[in-house]
Amino acid sequence: MKLSHICKTFYPDSPKEIKALKDINLSFEKGEFTTLSGESGSGKTTLLNIIGGLDAATSGKIFFEGEEISAYSEEKMAKLRLNHIGFIFQAYNLIQVLTVRENIGFIMRLLKFDEVAINARILELASILQIEDILDKLPSELSGGQQQRVAVARAVASRPKLILADEPTANLDSKNSERLMQMLRTLNEKEQVTVIFASHDRYVLEQSKRVIVLSDGAVVEDH
Amino acid sequence: MYKIAQHLAWLSIWRRKTRSLMVIMMIGLSLGGLLGLQGLYDGMISHLINTTIRSDSGEISVYAKEYRLQKSLDYRLLAISKYEEVFSKIEGIDAYSIRLEQEGLIATAHKSLGAILKGIYLDQEQNFGQLSSFTIQGEYSFGKENTGSLIGSALAKKLNLSLGSRVIFTAQDASGEINSISFRITGILKTGNPSIDDSSVFVSIEQMSKFLNLQQSATQLALRVKDSKQIRIIQKELQTLFGDVDVLRWDELYPLLIQMQELINIFNLASYAIVFIVAALGIFGVMLVSVLERMREFSIMLAIGTPYKMVRDQILLEASFLGFIGYMAGAFLGWLLLWYMSTVGIDMRSFEAGLELYGYSAVMYANMHLYYFVQAFFAVFFATLLSVIWPLLKLKKIKPIQIIQGKTV
Repeated sequence: MKLSHICKTFYPDSPKEIKALKDINLSFEKGEFTTLSGESGSGKTTLLNIIGGLDAATSGKIFFEGEEISAYSEEKMAKLRLNHIGFIFQAYNLIQVLTVRENIGFIMRLLKFDEVAINARILELASILQIEDILDKLPSELSGGQQQRVAVARAVASRPKLILADEPTANLDSKNSERLMQMLRTLNEKEQVTVIFASHDRYVLEQSKRVIVLSDGAVVEDH
Repeated sequence: MYKIAQHLAWLSIWRRKTRSLMVIMMIGLSLGGLLGLQGLYDGMISHLINTTIRSDSGEISVYAKEYRLQKSLDYRLLAISKYEEVFSKIEGIDAYSIRLEQEGLIATAHKSLGAILKGIYLDQEQNFGQLSSFTIQGEYSFGKENTGSLIGSALAKKLNLSLGSRVIFTAQDASGEINSISFRITGILKTGNPSIDDSSVFVSIEQMSKFLNLQQSATQLALRVKDSKQIRIIQKELQTLFGDVDVLRWDELYPLLIQMQELINIFNLASYAIVFIVAALGIFGVMLVSVLERMREFSIMLAIGTPYKMVRDQILLEASFLGFIGYMAGAFLGWLLLWYMSTVGIDMRSFEAGLELYGYSAVMYANMHLYYFVQAFFAVFFATLLSVIWPLLKLKKIKPIQIIQGKTV
């Protein structure tokens, strides 16, 4: 994934104009475990959304596996997200009418995976994420930590090349945060999946192999 | 992907059971009631038409020109055997009845009233419209000597007549002379056709011909047709063969019945419009609220790569499930009502006098046709489609990430 001269302006040419991102140039290699960090309003979530195609950059180019994706149509971008990107949101965001098992298998079913493969993958992830005993429960019956683990399982189930996680630990206590990070780390190492976080959680930063610090929409540190 | 949308839609409509059940009930009750009313009104008008055809006009009637305006024996049909010969050769004619009628005065020892004396062949009328089934008192016969008469129930009541009573009928014969004839009442008929029940007396056509000094004459030849699709063809054929007579269909003889039928059709159409609006508003309300309160969920689905088409299908299916279950409930309720009303009927005997005035039966029976259910299905189907347009447009406009981040649409 490569970002070239990415700028994002909200409410352009109006008194409310906000320059959220200013000339961002970054690249992410396969298997990275990176955190975009910074104060509130520094642009980390905006950048994560642009990387995931959930928001469009005002200018600049984005390349995914060498192909420019910044000019993709909504439909093409949705297809790219479905096939290659897994999302973990701050508020878990599971589908309430589906059981844990169905939530985990949701994307795989959209991608028309074989039912046997889907079930095997669900069991495998349930074992890694320690959610075997809640597979037939509905999200409303789960704790926050359990819901976030299910969200992680859903994001990684179809083996995407990239996982984007926006403040995944924000609603979790320290014990659950630690557990979640360890699991993501295991998945990153085991399945060579690239993980990019947007977070200012110290524990997340400590666990990351690379930290990119943003301030006022610009990269100020990358180590 | 469609299977997933189907699964999600089915689960989603039961997310708020009470709300979904309310809209299903709303569609079901209004549709069931509409089907019941449609069948009942249809049944009432069909009964009226059927009674009129059976007891009087047939599907087609032949009159001498001017007879219907002048009601004079000068304008009668002659050489009846030539008509009979033609009727027997036309394949589509099921039965016919020869009638000779004259207006006059019917009198008892106490009272006299204007009435119509109708000369008929009992066996022909039986074959034509099962006239005997209208007998409510006495027997379907003119007695051993063929001098009895069958009288309309309302006329008998007005004259205070009972079986065996003697009446005198006075009328002009063919030569203009005033003649009288006496008959004994052998039976009382109640056809439901006011023109018969209020003023007709049936006697044998032989007696009637003798009374009017006529031979081989009739004032009306009424025909029954095997297939209603053949009516116009047979009418045209007869008109071509007998150019000098009036060959008229039942709906030309009784235009009021057609107007009533059209009125019922308009009423049914208006009722469908109401059901359409009820179903559309019901589903629209549920779907709009349901979509708005799940904007976040839909946004998540779209964000993780679910195609818009699948989310759209899910919403369409949710509305369709609601509409379809509502339709099934309504169709079942309607079928139940129609089954009851078509087999047992609705007893309206307490309003008998008023109903009879318009020719309706005191026990009303409904009709039941498959097309009622087909029409209702399409009304609910289009209402369902219409009801989701706005929620879908609302969904199409959203930016998933704004919703996920808690910003308004």
